[in-house]
Amino acid sequence: MGENQVKALDNASFSIEKGEFVLIVGSSGSGKSTLLNMIGLLDRPSSGKVFIDGTDTTKLNDNQISSFRNKKLGFIFQFSNLLTDLTVLENVLLPRQIGGTNSSAEQEARELLKSVGLESQINKRANKISGGQAQRAAIARGLINRPSIVLADEPTGNLDSVTSELIVQLMKSMAKKLNQTFVVVTHDRQHFGDVDKIITIKDGQAFEGDQTSNMEIIA
Amino acid sequence: MEYRLRLAKRMLFNKKGSLIGAVLAVTIGILVIHVNFVIFQGLFDAIVRDISNYRNGDILVTDEADYIDKSDVALANWFERIPYVQGATPRLSSSAEINMTKNGKLIEETRVPVVGVDPIRDVKASTAHETIAEGTYVINRNSVVLGNNVARDLGGAQVGDSLKMLIVDRYGEDQIRRFTVAGIAKSPGGQGLDYSVVMHIDTLRDMMSRSGESGSFMVKLNDPSKAFEVKEFFLAAFPNDDFIAETIEESAEEQLAGFRSGIAMINLIGYFGMMSSAFAIVTIQMMLVNGKTREIGVMRSIGAKRKDILVIFIFQGMIIGAIGAGVGTAAGLGYTIYAKETKMSFMDSIPLEVNYDWEKIIQTALMSFSLAIIASLYPSYRATKLLPVEAMRTV
Repeated sequence: MGENQVKALDNASFSIEKGEFVLIVGSSGSGKSTLLNMIGLLDRPSSGKVFIDGTDTTKLNDNQISSFRNKKLGFIFQFSNLLTDLTVLENVLLPRQIGGTNSSAEQEARELLKSVGLESQINKRANKISGGQAQRAAIARGLINRPSIVLADEPTGNLDSVTSELIVQLMKSMAKKLNQTFVVVTHDRQHFGDVDKIITIKDGQAFEGDQTSNMEIIA
Repeated sequence: MEYRLRLAKRMLFNKKGSLIGAVLAVTIGILVIHVNFVIFQGLFDAIVRDISNYRNGDILVTDEADYIDKSDVALANWFERIPYVQGATPRLSSSAEINMTKNGKLIEETRVPVVGVDPIRDVKASTAHETIAEGTYVINRNSVVLGNNVARDLGGAQVGDSLKMLIVDRYGEDQIRRFTVAGIAKSPGGQGLDYSVVMHIDTLRDMMSRSGESGSFMVKLNDPSKAFEVKEFFLAAFPNDDFIAETIEESAEEQLAGFRSGIAMINLIGYFGMMSSAFAIVTIQMMLVNGKTREIGVMRSIGAKRKDILVIFIFQGMIIGAIGAGVGTAAGLGYTIYAKETKMSFMDSIPLEVNYDWEKIIQTALMSFSLAIIASLYPSYRATKLLPVEAMRTV
């Protein structure tokens, strides 16, 4: 008896320029999150390569991947995934502390939190703030190390429409302000308005441009 | 503060149930060892103390020829000019048959141990006189002190009663004398002269026809740690005599050997108890790791290396070990202080001789701290094996 091999992604080839705000869209199960995990080095492709800043990330060992994730990538998750044992400020500082560079980190973290509108919440435990506030803190955490790419997996998927709108605007303004590359996986295409690039994943294949109009979207 | 230590601390302190459970496991492990030590080592030391105080002193001098014929005054004076010596006294032992009429009824006891003492010197070298529950210690040649058990066997002999004693002398002749009971001796735990009759050594010498001889010489030191030194000095001073000098450890070895191995076994059981607390820590930390799967995944995704995750959970082991060792040592010391201050004894038996063995206290604390860290290694290793993408899926 043989095993059935499922290809979550196949022939997905595209490039993203620095400073671009990119949406990855597609129906449920199309392979969007798998693609994001590959870019985020949380998963390894069985074949093919992922280049970030000219580095072939598929050749990195476990320690190098960790360092790469820390310095070059920022993550924003659907459920914010702040560490509830830490305060908002400590959560934002964490990637910097993991990287081992602490000089001026706290000042930068405070400024970032101020720019996402959380200056009054910095000393609160992460589980004592609202979902929208937590997501804003997660954005600040994703930006603290000034990564090459910020990867956001359904960042508004757990928020009401008003808060979602605020989060989208925040991400877009931060992208513009910091010339920061954002790659966002989302079902909520309409929330994002104009973006620099849209990549549609369909049956594991990547197409540039919004091709979701003739697809059934399952939110 | 180092972020890994802060995270370890926060994760642990926010799971108070797990923290208390793990700390209790370490605490109980340490407490078991302290309690074992206080009771069993305390009992051992109490037996040594009583043998030393009542019978053997810190150094016991005997003669290969059974009896010491050197003048007891000369020997006592020789010892007492050594600054470490508190007192030295001769002792002579025999056994007797005792007849006593109590309430018109003749009571006879045979083979009762008799100890002859020098009442003046004995109070300096022995605490036997402190066990007198009624009356006085041996005051003259015609009085005896009855051990509590002997008095009971004689139908409740009391101070002032008269009794007749028969001792067979060195030539096989019966020597019979009448004595007045001067006192009744009763020691805590019955380790003193409770089963003996105490009389003046010169009277016993007369009855045994062993004028000027002693059975042994009991030497009490004000610094027992100098026993070996004093013993060697004594043997060197009398090279032409056939003296045997033994420290308390040597003279009581026969009585203590079995007890010593018993203590070793009890200690072993204590250490097994400590091992089982290490298993409790492994279980609790595995639960902590399982409960923090998402956090581990998040940390890995934002750049934490396996080593960082390992360090966080080892820090947790260190925190558990440090608090557990602190609380356990404090509890153990509390129990030790209580036992010492109350002169703890069980069922009116021998009062424990409780000492603070700081080396053992520190060794126990360090061992439990180390065990807590060792116990945290496996859960920590398991935590590092979580793949970030898998860990994130558990959300």
